Amino acid sequence: MTFHRVLVLAAGLGLSGCSDPQAEPSPPCDQECQDRTAARALRETMKLVYNITLQGNAVGPQDETTPCPLGGKARVFGQATSNAKFGSTEVSLTYELAACHSLSRDEEAGENYDMVVTGSVSQTGTLAVQPTATTALVMQSAAITLEGDVYDPPIGYSITACAVEMGQDGNQLSGSLCGRQFGVGL
Amino acid sequence: MRSLRFLALAVLLSAGHAHAQPAPSTPPQAAAPTLIAPKVLSDTTVLYPDHARGDATVVLTLVVDRTGRVTSAVPSEVNEPFSSLATNRALGWRFEPATRNGVPVVAKIRVEVVFHEPEPPPEAAAATPEPPAPARPGATKEERVEVVVLGEHPEPSRTATLSRAEVRQIPGTFGDPFRAIEALPGVTPIVSGLPFFFIRGAPPGNVGYFLDGIRVPLLFHVGIGPSVVHPVLIERVDLYPGGYPARFGRFAGGIVAGETTLPNPELHGEYNLRLFDAGAAVEAPFAAGRGTALVGGRYSYTAMLLSLLSPEVLLEYWDYQARATYDLTPEDRLGVFAFGSYDYLGQKTQGEPLTLFATEFHRVDLRYDRHLPRGKMRSALTLGIDRSLVQQDRSVVSRLYGGRTEVEHRVDHAVRVRAGTDFALETYGIELGSQVLSPSARRAAENFPSRTDLTFGMRGDAVITPAPGFDVTPGLRIDLYASEGVSAVGIDPRLATRTQLSERLHLLTAFGIAHQPPAFVVPVPGFQPGGLRGGLQRAVQESMGVELDLGDATTLTATVFQNAFFDMSDPLGTTEPELDGCPPGSYPDDSIGGDYGATPDTPPDCANRFEPGTLGPDRSGGGGQGADSRGGRRFAEVFEVRTLGASYGLELFLKRRLTKKLGGFVSYTLSRSTRSFGRRTYVATFDRTHVANAAVAYDLGRRWRAGSRVVFYTGLPKPPDPFDGSTRLPPFFRLDLRLEKRWQLTPTVWISAVAEAMNATLSKEAVQSECTLEGCAAEEIGPVTIPSLGVEGGF
Repeated sequence: MTFHRVLVLAAGLGLSGCSDPQAEPSPPCDQECQDRTAARALRETMKLVYNITLQGNAVGPQDETTPCPLGGKARVFGQATSNAKFGSTEVSLTYELAACHSLSRDEEAGENYDMVVTGSVSQTGTLAVQPTATTALVMQSAAITLEGDVYDPPIGYSITACAVEMGQDGNQLSGSLCGRQFGVGL
Repeated sequence: MRSLRFLALAVLLSAGHAHAQPAPSTPPQAAAPTLIAPKVLSDTTVLYPDHARGDATVVLTLVVDRTGRVTSAVPSEVNEPFSSLATNRALGWRFEPATRNGVPVVAKIRVEVVFHEPEPPPEAAAATPEPPAPARPGATKEERVEVVVLGEHPEPSRTATLSRAEVRQIPGTFGDPFRAIEALPGVTPIVSGLPFFFIRGAPPGNVGYFLDGIRVPLLFHVGIGPSVVHPVLIERVDLYPGGYPARFGRFAGGIVAGETTLPNPELHGEYNLRLFDAGAAVEAPFAAGRGTALVGGRYSYTAMLLSLLSPEVLLEYWDYQARATYDLTPEDRLGVFAFGSYDYLGQKTQGEPLTLFATEFHRVDLRYDRHLPRGKMRSALTLGIDRSLVQQDRSVVSRLYGGRTEVEHRVDHAVRVRAGTDFALETYGIELGSQVLSPSARRAAENFPSRTDLTFGMRGDAVITPAPGFDVTPGLRIDLYASEGVSAVGIDPRLATRTQLSERLHLLTAFGIAHQPPAFVVPVPGFQPGGLRGGLQRAVQESMGVELDLGDATTLTATVFQNAFFDMSDPLGTTEPELDGCPPGSYPDDSIGGDYGATPDTPPDCANRFEPGTLGPDRSGGGGQGADSRGGRRFAEVFEVRTLGASYGLELFLKRRLTKKLGGFVSYTLSRSTRSFGRRTYVATFDRTHVANAAVAYDLGRRWRAGSRVVFYTGLPKPPDPFDGSTRLPPFFRLDLRLEKRWQLTPTVWISAVAEAMNATLSKEAVQSECTLEGCAAEEIGPVTIPSLGVEGGF
């Protein structure tokens, strides 16, 4: 957030007369809605692990392990290289998540989760720094376990040893979770 | 400034058993050689009462005991509110007691207090002793001795003083003296209505707020809220934009200093009820008038109002003030002053609210005041705690243990010496929460470590009148700073003069050097960078101006100023750069925010989004989860980058007392503020070439009073745009309105209905440019407007 934006936020606290309908009660969250948040939780957990471990590393083979913010641990290994001029990073990585626990709180109901992830996920493709390149990733897992809450107000969510296939195009994430299709914007 | 204070003109008449003798500043008079009349030691300035109209004269009979204390003050007739005010003030005055053959004796004297409606700030006549006042009607003609008691000479560096009586008449300030600062010359707003401003080119973080000499960590409630001290407690607010007196230090920008009202040994109070908050304050005597106790506070129910307009926002604030004084002896007074405030800004969710920002601070000031034969002294101990919370779980808690001593001594009628020392021990505890920080965020956080800071200062100056009509005030302050094992010393010389050029014209000069540790963007309790990284900031400030009394309560002030800033930390002016002539995927490498000198015709060195040969971040979704960014790195750098700065300009202030039937002011600032970094000098991010305020207040009769105010300023600098040759965002204009109807229920009880609107024109303001490779577009906010309906009253 830039300082300008901080100021804009502060000044916006005046009675500017604008109103936001987001204060309406959250709509019911069905299975598809819950899967969207769960997929977000999985993807953002991988993102977190990557940024903690590999971000800023020298290009080449990678193998690092880190504790997760709220417990558990994660290992990421594989190959990665980059083109700094275009802001892109090519990855072929595997994430091993062992009860990796993370949490997200946000005013958007669908961006709230408290999730523990266990399983192995592969990730192949391009991580890009917008707008000079586009992120294009394929992520797969034969058996992933998610245990926790999704949505606001929280809804219990649990899947065990489910197959996951996800593709990311830019900030659009879509695929299937336990055979159920989903699509979500990150 | 005396113009906003009442000119206390006391004509001391010999009476009773005391034979009078001329005061030093008066012509010799016939007097018994062994009998000396009491001499006033106190500042006898009496503010013109709120809501009063016209001039008045109150004749008081005072009994001054052997210690110089006034034990009785009786007005010859009742003329409220003047007689009560004069009586109350006189009871607090101190005299050199009358003496017979060198032995102190009780004396009864008559004092005539003449009230004039407040005069404008740059009151030329206050600079020098006035000639003896003529005999007043009713004064005894025999053995008459006249003593002219002048208020405190205005400091030459003080460009404006605002009393509450005048501030009440300025639309858009809601009767808040601190909010009125934005209308004064030299003050450049960041965003309309937001109470943070640049003063003569110095950023908000370099502007110090003081209340009775206590540094206030946060002067305004969150957003566009009011000041954190209820206006009823504020006697006046002074603005020192540069070259300030030696008692002010550790800020290399400007000083906003408020003074609370004197303890009043008579039951009185005031209250207000507005659309967005309610407040009240009451003061009462105890121990037969030897003590006073005041309690006050304010509570905002903005959340209720906002729930109608912006249902997702949670906003709450409150503040409190309490003061007690007790006169141990006629010369010794103990006092305690406590004040604090709380602000909360959150976001409603279906579950627990999200805290976006919350802050609170509390201060307790224990004071011991003693009147000296030729002056006064104060020793004080200040305790405080600040607590701020951002982004749900990142917090800072700081504790303050401070003390200060102040001594003022009048050597003779031409020399007054002021000196003092102070120290502050501040502990900071930082919690960064459970969120994973990006590398840049961790780097920025390193500027705010948990630690203990120590500051010690000493200062002294002298107000010298070597010749009639000429005052010179040399001063020096020395401050020692220590933080995280690093120490630094600031040596700040000051010099100010006031010269009477003619009966109505004065020349004022002020010069000063001021040091300050690195500062945060705006004053936020607890948010103070630690470790003195980059050393102290330094400002060299100078100004020269003239004050012209145009008569009929109208004055004109014209001031030119020039400031130079060294090792400046200016996070507001050091934001990340926009796309600026660099190829896609890179940013200017040798510039910082606000540096718009690079254009596509002169491409700068450009940097990659991340270091070649390393892995970039995963920024899916735009950031978060520890992802770093170029912007994040810039954000971290703003706390490390030091720039050179310069500002210069012209300030004009034409004013007719706002409490007159027709009053108003025009305030205009023409200025330029620049920064130098690396190889270039460029216009500062928040530079505004023209800033103008004009206000008018008119008494419609039947206790109706109306006012309006217009505000205009130049737009901010903008980055070069291949499709638009302009160099600035659009200018801003707004209109404020105020209408008041007052009922005087009894001589001392009144009530008013007030309607007020800030930005009645619902003007929007352009605050930045959003640039893409296709060009730039101005981003507007608002309209930021505050409508207010309220009731005010007092007794």
